[in-house]
Amino acid sequence: MTLTTALIAGLVLGGTYALVAMGLTLQYGIARIMNLAYGDTIITAAFAAFILQGGLAVNPLLGLALVVPGGFLLSYLIYRLILSHLVARASDRGALEVDSILTTFGLLFVIQGVLLVLFGGNYTSYSFLNVAVDIMGAKVAANRLLALALALSIGLTLYLLLTRTRWGTALRAVAVAPQSAALVGIDVNRAAAFAFALGGGLAAAGGVVISMYQTFTATAGVVFTMKALIVVIMGGVGNLLGALCAGLLLGVVETLVSTYVDPGLTLAATYAIFLVVLLWRPQGLFGRVAR
Amino acid sequence: MLSLDEISVRYGKHLALDRVRLSVREGETVVILGANGAGKSSLLKAVAGLVRADPGGAVTFRGTSVSGLPAHRVLEAGMALVPEGRGIFADLTVEENLLLGAYARRARHGEGKMRELVLDLFPKLAERRRQIVGTMSGGEQQMVAIGRALMSAPDLLMLDEPSLGLAPVVVGELFEALARVRRTGVAILLVEQNVKASLALADRGYLMEVGRIVGEGSAAELRGDPAVQRAFLGLAS
Ligand SMILES: Nc1ncnc2c1ncn2[C@@H]1O[C@H](COP(=O)(O)OP(=O)(O)OP(=O)(O)O)[C@@H](O)[C@H]1O
Ligand SMILES: [Mg+2]
Repeated sequence: MTLTTALIAGLVLGGTYALVAMGLTLQYGIARIMNLAYGDTIITAAFAAFILQGGLAVNPLLGLALVVPGGFLLSYLIYRLILSHLVARASDRGALEVDSILTTFGLLFVIQGVLLVLFGGNYTSYSFLNVAVDIMGAKVAANRLLALALALSIGLTLYLLLTRTRWGTALRAVAVAPQSAALVGIDVNRAAAFAFALGGGLAAAGGVVISMYQTFTATAGVVFTMKALIVVIMGGVGNLLGALCAGLLLGVVETLVSTYVDPGLTLAATYAIFLVVLLWRPQGLFGRVAR
Repeated sequence: MLSLDEISVRYGKHLALDRVRLSVREGETVVILGANGAGKSSLLKAVAGLVRADPGGAVTFRGTSVSGLPAHRVLEAGMALVPEGRGIFADLTVEENLLLGAYARRARHGEGKMRELVLDLFPKLAERRRQIVGTMSGGEQQMVAIGRALMSAPDLLMLDEPSLGLAPVVVGELFEALARVRRTGVAILLVEQNVKASLALADRGYLMEVGRIVGEGSAAELRGDPAVQRAFLGLAS
């Protein structure tokens, strides 16, 4: 693999990390739910894209239009039926954090169990746009380029919505000061439910994007949750641009390590960067700002 | 326009408000005076929907009950609170704070006009549109807080110790601004420690002590009341 190929592969992976980390940062920053089943939403979406493509011959791009609203709706229901009760009874933020971690930890096994029953534990993939494209002398699969373009454009759209509209500004206000948000007329519970659902929609988008170029298994959710969490903390909780930069950085580093050092060391490299960032800048590379 | 009947608030076993009765008429400016811990903030919070009052009492606004409504619905009904400590979005810009001030449905229709009024009242906010509010001085932040509350086009503006921590000159400017807000016809319910300035602004006032209303009267009466003078104005009797 040439350096260019490795860098592009790293950016593709990093773009995906950034996309899913944005969803997690919405759920954690605005809805204040630490969702350990987040990665399983991603994997569920990947399987949904697999069924749509393999069983029903629905192209994954079209699949996005079905799976993303599905992820939104499912997450909304999970919030309304389960998590909102935790929010209502939590005395403070710490209590909600503990409750939501325990609850979504259980949810993780429920989703994973269902996926295992339906699809078994094997690696799954499908072939889509698997043609090589020449970029500066490096051969890159078209599906990877599409994945990168999708991740970046979805992430950028979200960023613009959150920073340039009143609606998005209101969501950021709930993230930084929920009580003050209520004083300007924002229904904080509704905003939280919506942010959680939106995060689920982003997870679903991430899942479809991942399935375009990667193999996945029913049990891979945990890894995605961990990586998204690392990217969120590295970028600064609630910081979307931070998540984007941290995601790209992590993807590139992981790919370089697995290409030039040893594939077995990628996770170790991930945690090494994470530790360095935590020790050096515990508030994240870009701080916990509301933009 | 606003009336509180037998409003009690408890924090655990502690009774912070004990069957309070109070009213504000259309366009009126009313001040609540009382020592630290008297329950002034609890009273405003109970009206604004930030703390829950005991079920025995009732808060009525323009003929409809607003008891037990969550804060965002109280705002939508026409009452805006500038809380103790201002409650602005420190991480957002001046512009974004004002934008969110007009988040309520009731505010959208006259948003442009309100913005003009606010910027006319506080010209500094226009100059500092892009500044992150957390980096502003205390007086400027108070302008943002009041400006944001006005953006919701309230019929009643509630302020909890807006002059706290401000330099005397800035306090003067603040009360001038409030006098102008008053002239626009907005009713004001003000909690203050600055008795002199607030009695000069207000039409009427209430005195609070440990959770109870212990006196009320016109601003002129209260200014002349020896109890007020002893307790708050620091004058020898
Ligand atoms: N969240 C709370 N939990 C427990 N007790 C509280 C709480 N908030 C207020 N109190 C108590 O209720 C009483 C009234 O408090 P409140 O803040 O309403 O007084 P205040 O008149 O606004 O005082 P200050 O002038 O110091 O702002 C005080 O004894 C206070 O300690
Ligand atoms: Mg107070």
